[in-house]
Amino acid sequence: MIKMKNPGGWVGKILRVDLTSGKITSQSTFDYVPKFLGGRGLGAKICWDEVPPEVKAFDPQNKIILATGPLQGTLAPTSGRFMVLGKAPQTGPIESFTRSGIGGHFAPELKWAGFDAVVIEGKAPRPVYLWINDQKGEILDATRLWGLNTYQTQEMLWKIHGSKTRILVIGKAGENRSRIACILTDTGDASGQGGFGGVMGAKNLKAIAVQGSGYVPVARPQDLAKTTQHIYRLFTRRPAHSDPYQPEEKGFKYNIWGGGYGRGSLSLLPGELLDLCRDPSSGYSQTPDSCFACPVACRSRVKGPDIIPGVAFCAQSYMYLESMVHEPEKGYSKVTWQAAKLADLLGINAYEIMAIVPWLADCYREKLITEEETGLPLKEIGSWKFIFKLLHMIAHREGFGDLLAEGGQRAAAKLGGKAEKLAQMYYPRSGNFGGYREHWVYLGGFPTGYAVPALALMWALDNRDALVSHSYIAMLWGAAFTVGQDALTADPAKIFPLLKAAMKEAYGSAEAAEFFRPDGKSLNWDWAARVVKRYHEHSILKDCYILCDILFPYLFNANTPDHVGDVSLESRLYAAVTGLEMDVAESYNIGSMLCTLERALAARDGRTRQDDLLHDLYFEKEDAGGRKYNRADLEKAKTEYYQLMGWDLPKGIPTKATLQRWQLPEVAEGLQKYGRL
Amino acid sequence: MEAQNKKDLSFKIEPSDPADAERRTVLKGLTLGTFGLASLFTIGNLLEVLTFPNGEKVALAKAVIMADKSLCAGCRICEMACTNFNSPGRNSPALARLTITKDYLKGDYEPKLCYQCADPPCLRACPVTALQVEIKQGTYARIIDERVCIGCQRCVQACANHFRPARLKFDPHRYRTIKCHLCWGDPQCVKFCPLGVLRLVKSEQGLIIGYPAMKDD
Repeated sequence: MIKMKNPGGWVGKILRVDLTSGKITSQSTFDYVPKFLGGRGLGAKICWDEVPPEVKAFDPQNKIILATGPLQGTLAPTSGRFMVLGKAPQTGPIESFTRSGIGGHFAPELKWAGFDAVVIEGKAPRPVYLWINDQKGEILDATRLWGLNTYQTQEMLWKIHGSKTRILVIGKAGENRSRIACILTDTGDASGQGGFGGVMGAKNLKAIAVQGSGYVPVARPQDLAKTTQHIYRLFTRRPAHSDPYQPEEKGFKYNIWGGGYGRGSLSLLPGELLDLCRDPSSGYSQTPDSCFACPVACRSRVKGPDIIPGVAFCAQSYMYLESMVHEPEKGYSKVTWQAAKLADLLGINAYEIMAIVPWLADCYREKLITEEETGLPLKEIGSWKFIFKLLHMIAHREGFGDLLAEGGQRAAAKLGGKAEKLAQMYYPRSGNFGGYREHWVYLGGFPTGYAVPALALMWALDNRDALVSHSYIAMLWGAAFTVGQDALTADPAKIFPLLKAAMKEAYGSAEAAEFFRPDGKSLNWDWAARVVKRYHEHSILKDCYILCDILFPYLFNANTPDHVGDVSLESRLYAAVTGLEMDVAESYNIGSMLCTLERALAARDGRTRQDDLLHDLYFEKEDAGGRKYNRADLEKAKTEYYQLMGWDLPKGIPTKATLQRWQLPEVAEGLQKYGRL
Repeated sequence: MEAQNKKDLSFKIEPSDPADAERRTVLKGLTLGTFGLASLFTIGNLLEVLTFPNGEKVALAKAVIMADKSLCAGCRICEMACTNFNSPGRNSPALARLTITKDYLKGDYEPKLCYQCADPPCLRACPVTALQVEIKQGTYARIIDERVCIGCQRCVQACANHFRPARLKFDPHRYRTIKCHLCWGDPQCVKFCPLGVLRLVKSEQGLIIGYPAMKDD
């Protein structure tokens, strides 16, 4: 390997923890970077080398990888994120590799403590937590933390290690190996998808606490400051007159989703609680809150005398909308908020609850389940009584909750018959590698209720759920908000003209936005494969550097007449921090390479073209515009996508030639060994 | 001399009078001339420095960074911008010349900034006169001449006696104490703060703030 001259960004060490033997070692990060960049790429490579298909998610041999990228812990905007990777218990019915991003303030602290990544394997004989401080790791006893909720655990650890310590923690759900358990840090930042909380629980690992006083080397500090300032100017302006929600500059749009989103916009929905927050004398408040180094501060911090304080994300806003139906006069009430916070305290992935609750309601309506059988007050879905019982049953694996703790898709499969059929609405991917909830209606199509071919393809191909606030779809959102529409009212025909120049820049064609034919009768699949390839590259690169899903890639500018974004921002940040040149075109090649590696990981677990498919339901129903996904079109787009990626067409597995091209000989060898090539 | 000091303490509430600031400077000039204990020299052409090893009065700072904590979202950009500028190549809050204290559960964030005290305990504590008043850019900020600093950290201790956390920090890699010097009049934290929490407050007459006007924080 070529010895580099003091690259910035990476601090140079990976902490390896074996909980079975209690042994802690470290390894050089430069065994993997810069080839695999960091974050998702680094984690995928480690998983490829060390987590073979025979290993099950809850086995001690499974590894949980916390990987930061080169930008974490620096001034680079939104550099607070990092990735949790490993074999995911939530993917089903076959457990397979996936990743889950998490924001907040943990990642920079880990870098300052001297580690780019932590790889944890084995299973501790008794509950433990991991304490990482300035170049060293320690396994400490957590017997007295076991059973505490996520907030209590953090408060206890702050008492021991000081309040500057940042902590990843699991709740009761994780301890009980729920497949839908999340890992939480602070008051709501969580790694939910994948169910890695359960993996931590299976390892008897209650928490990971980290504090560091070191630094992250930056190769070109002046460039970094300049690029950062440039990015600030694109996304945000200071608040006017001390009102944090209003930009100082008249007409400026916080530049996310065409101004439909910005500072403090992950807010409470209208209702009882928001009214209280807006009344200064009530003692309740909602203020913008930031992840590390983020200029936007999209989240809101909510507090009040009789509610659990914390940060509002989309999960907190949308997890228990049934309560708004239950008590429509109250709107978003304290019950809605407390329900989401209870999920946080117990360490349950709120996104899954968003599928499980409506699915239970469907089943109850169809008389497939009864109150006596389940022990849940199903007549009162939407009430505090119901959600309290449900979450506790899931977290403690009591009765029916034991089944639900396996995740909605697995629970539905166990019930079988019509109940399983009903769940397909919420878990769109058929085949052996599903298990992830659909975001809105029609695969999170935008505008809501519309079928979007690129999104169907993203969903079919992903090893998780597809990102609905990112890249292509984010551009559709942006254009709609720019013309004053929103997710529910948008008219696609009105937003297409706006997107021409930006689409040309991002995907090479001004027509890429037009997801249905001019006659409005059928969907336009022409650009799906090419759009999705670029989307995958963008998405994997931002997860490697690591930057925020919502800000990057920056493809749509709400504040200029042509709305063209700038795709070079990420690579400029990378170059400024590491001092290594990164050409945009070259970065897409790295994206393709890593995408191929991730695909190889899934293929090694047995994934083939047949698993890249959606349930029949999605080909049967018409969308809001009266159009349908067509099975043959999806197959054609898949073929085109595999072709572009250099994968085998009938099997959807990377070919030997492609793996050689990307200099992944070990991957070719491994696939051969498992008879997949 | 002590009576003089006491008299000055009573200034804290009254707005400072321009003539008064003038008198101070004159006083310093006098000290300089009369006792010959202070030295006046120039570092490059960046800053002119006045030192008062006998602990004589120090000119009031003409600028200070203030924070409106009610706006703070806790992003820690100020810390990063500071260290990226002042410790180039090393991004770390441990090297930032300001500190964000956070209570993550309650969401109580507060930037802790150097007050550029009217009567700076750090400056008085320095045994080698590394702590100086910056006058070239006219901020009169209390700064550290890192070529003189011996890293004894007495100034950190002196600050910690009044303010917590101490506004001065120790840079273990270079063995020097570091301190907010208002970035020579253009503070990076103020420039980068996305929510306008931080602002540079200037006063030609000098600001009576920090110790002894504020006893603790």
